[in-house]
Amino acid sequence: MVGRYCKSLTLGAVALAAATSMADAAFKLSGPAKIALVIFTNKNDGGWSQALDEARQRMEKEMGVSIPVIENVPENATAVRPAVELLIQRGYNVIIGSAFGYSDTFKELAAKYPEVAFLNPAGTTNGPNLESFYGRTYESQYLCGMAAAGASKSGKLGFVAANPFGLVNWTVNAYAMGARQVNPNATVTVVFTGAWNDPVKERAAAEALTEQGIDVIGQHVDTPAVQLVAQEKGIYSTGHHRDLAEFAPKATQCSSVWVWDRFLVPEIKKIEAGNWEPGPYGAFLSIKEGGTDVSCCGDAVAQAVADKVVAARQAIVDGKLQVYAGPLKDRDGKERVPAGAVLSDADLWAMDWYVPGVVSQQ
Amino acid sequence: MVDFFINWAANVPAFAVPFALAALGLIVTEKSGVLSLGAEGYLLMGALAAAGASVVIGDHSLVAFAVGALAAAALSLVFALMAVTLRANQVVAGLVMVFLAQGLTGLIGTQQGWTNRPIAGLDRIPLGPLADIPVLGPILFRQDMLVYLTLPIFFAVAYLLSHTMVGLRLRAVGDAPEAADAAGTSVTIYRYGAIIAGAAIVGLAGAYLSVGVAKMWVEGMSGGRGWIAVALVIFARWQPWRALAGAVLFGGIEALIPRVAAVGLQVPQYFMLMAPYIVTLAVMVYANLNKSTERRFDEPRGLGQPYLREERR
Repeated sequence: MVGRYCKSLTLGAVALAAATSMADAAFKLSGPAKIALVIFTNKNDGGWSQALDEARQRMEKEMGVSIPVIENVPENATAVRPAVELLIQRGYNVIIGSAFGYSDTFKELAAKYPEVAFLNPAGTTNGPNLESFYGRTYESQYLCGMAAAGASKSGKLGFVAANPFGLVNWTVNAYAMGARQVNPNATVTVVFTGAWNDPVKERAAAEALTEQGIDVIGQHVDTPAVQLVAQEKGIYSTGHHRDLAEFAPKATQCSSVWVWDRFLVPEIKKIEAGNWEPGPYGAFLSIKEGGTDVSCCGDAVAQAVADKVVAARQAIVDGKLQVYAGPLKDRDGKERVPAGAVLSDADLWAMDWYVPGVVSQQ
Repeated sequence: MVDFFINWAANVPAFAVPFALAALGLIVTEKSGVLSLGAEGYLLMGALAAAGASVVIGDHSLVAFAVGALAAAALSLVFALMAVTLRANQVVAGLVMVFLAQGLTGLIGTQQGWTNRPIAGLDRIPLGPLADIPVLGPILFRQDMLVYLTLPIFFAVAYLLSHTMVGLRLRAVGDAPEAADAAGTSVTIYRYGAIIAGAAIVGLAGAYLSVGVAKMWVEGMSGGRGWIAVALVIFARWQPWRALAGAVLFGGIEALIPRVAAVGLQVPQYFMLMAPYIVTLAVMVYANLNKSTERRFDEPRGLGQPYLREERR
C-alpha cells in the first residue's frame, strides 16, 4: 500500500487568469466572500454530489468559513431560481452550483445579480460573473488505465460506461492508452448501459465482461455496482467520482477522484481579490489545476507499475505528458492528431472515435 | 458460442423475475377492476424497504423480502383510499403513487444512508445433481431462491384467480361490480384486498431488484421497469402465464444487451438499448390488432371505473 493517495501540488488555476483580457468587465465583490453550495441531488449520493460536498467540507477547513449546502434542487429554473435568490437575500455572494442543468438559470441569475459570483461544475454557460468548470478526466482515467493493466493477468480490461459521447469517450480512450503504456497488447472492452444510475444494468454489464475472461473493469457510471461485482468475482476494478475502495477494498485498485476544492479555493481567493476573470469557455481543469486526481494504487498493482503511475502523474502536472498528443490514429487507422500537435478542447468535447485497443459497439 | 448461450440463458431469470412478479401483482389488482399505474412506485418502495432491512438487521433475505412486500402493501393503502373509497380518477391516483414513492424512497434512503451499501443478497443455490446436467443445469438449476419460488407463486395466484370462490368473486367485481354487489360480494373489500395483495407482489419484485439482483440500493433504481410491467399486463391480456412468457422475453433482451457488447459484436448500441421499448411498442400494436372475441373477455370490463352503488352508467 505505497502511495495510496498521490500527494499533489496545489498550484491553482494560474493559466486561466493569464489568458483572458476582459479587464474592463472585471468583477468585484462588495464585501467578503460568503459562499453557498446548491446540489441537484442528495449530498450523500456516493458519487458526483458527494464528491462536491466533500470538497465543500475541505474548503470550510482550509478557508476557515462556514459553507452551507442546499440539497435536492432539481435541474429546472423554477427550482433553482428561488433557492439561489433566497441565498442571495441572506447575503451569500458566491454561489456554487452542481449540474449541467443549472447552466441556463445561472446565466439568467448572473445577469440579474451582477454583484454575485456564480460557479457551476459541468455547466456550459459563462459570463463576467459566471464560470463553468469541468475536469480533464481523461488524465486521471489514463493513470487508472495504467494501474488496471498492471493488475491484469490476461491483458483484457473492461469498462462500463453510460452513454457514448465526448466526455465519456475521452475517458474510454485514455483508459486504453494508459493501459497500453504498461501492456502494449492490452484491450479495453466497453459496455454502454444507457443509464448513469442503474445498478441492475451496471451489474449485468460487469458480469458479462467477466464472462469474457476480463479481469479488471473500469467505470464511468455513478454507482459502485461494478466494484461490488469485481470484489465478488475475485477480480479487480477501478473507480470514478470518489475513491470507491470504500465499497470494495479488495477489488478497487485505482479511482479517478474529483478534487474541486483545489480549484475552488484559489478561485474564490481571486474573486475576493478582485482579479477574477472567467474565460469565455469556462475552466477546463487539468490535474494540476484541481479537476480530478487519482487515488492509486491497490495491492494488486506491482510496485514498478505504481511507480510508473506516480511518474506519469508528475509528467502530466509538469506539462511534459499530454494524453492526446500526436501522432494519434483511431482504431480504423484514420489520423486524428498529427505529430507534434495536441488535440484541441473543441475536438475533445466532440470525440466520437476510439483508439486502437478499444473494443466497443459503434 | 455454447458458453455464450449458457451464460446468457442462465442470467435471464434474474432479469425476468422482476418483470414477471410486477406484472403478476398488477394483474391481481386489475382483475378487480382497479387500473393500477403505480407499479413503478411499489417497485421503488419494495426495493428501498428490502435494502434498508438488509442494512439494519443484517442479511436475512427472507425477512428483507417480507419487509419489501409489506412496505409496498402499506403504501398501496393510500392508493386504495383514493381509488376505492374516495373514487378518485384511477389513472391520476396511480401516477400520484409513482411520484409519491419516488420522493419518499429518495428521502428515507438518503437520510438513513442506505445508498450504495453492499448487500450480501441471495446466493445461487445449486439443486443437487440437477445442477450438474450439461447446459440445462447451469441455466435452470443454479438459480437463487426467489427464481425457484416464482413458479409456485405464479401457480398459486393463477389457481386462486381461476379455480377458487375468492378468485371468482374478484373477477366478478372487476367485470360487473353492480352484479357482484347485488349478489352480496363487497366491491370495496375485494378491491382493497386486490390492491394490497397486488402491491405486495410488486413490492416483492422491487425487493428482488435491490437485494437479489443489484445487491445495493440507489435512489430511483427501478429505472422504468414498472412501466414495462404495465405494458406487459396488456400484452398478456391479464393472464398470468402469458405475463410470465412476456417477462422472460423482456428479461432475455435485458440480459442479452450487455453480453452482445462484451463479446464486441458490432451492432449499433442505440439499437440494442431501445430494443426493449421497441418490443413494448410492437406488443401494444399486436395486442390491438388482435381484437378477437377472446380479448374482449380478458380485459376486466369494469377496469378503471370507480364503483358507486346505483350509479347510472
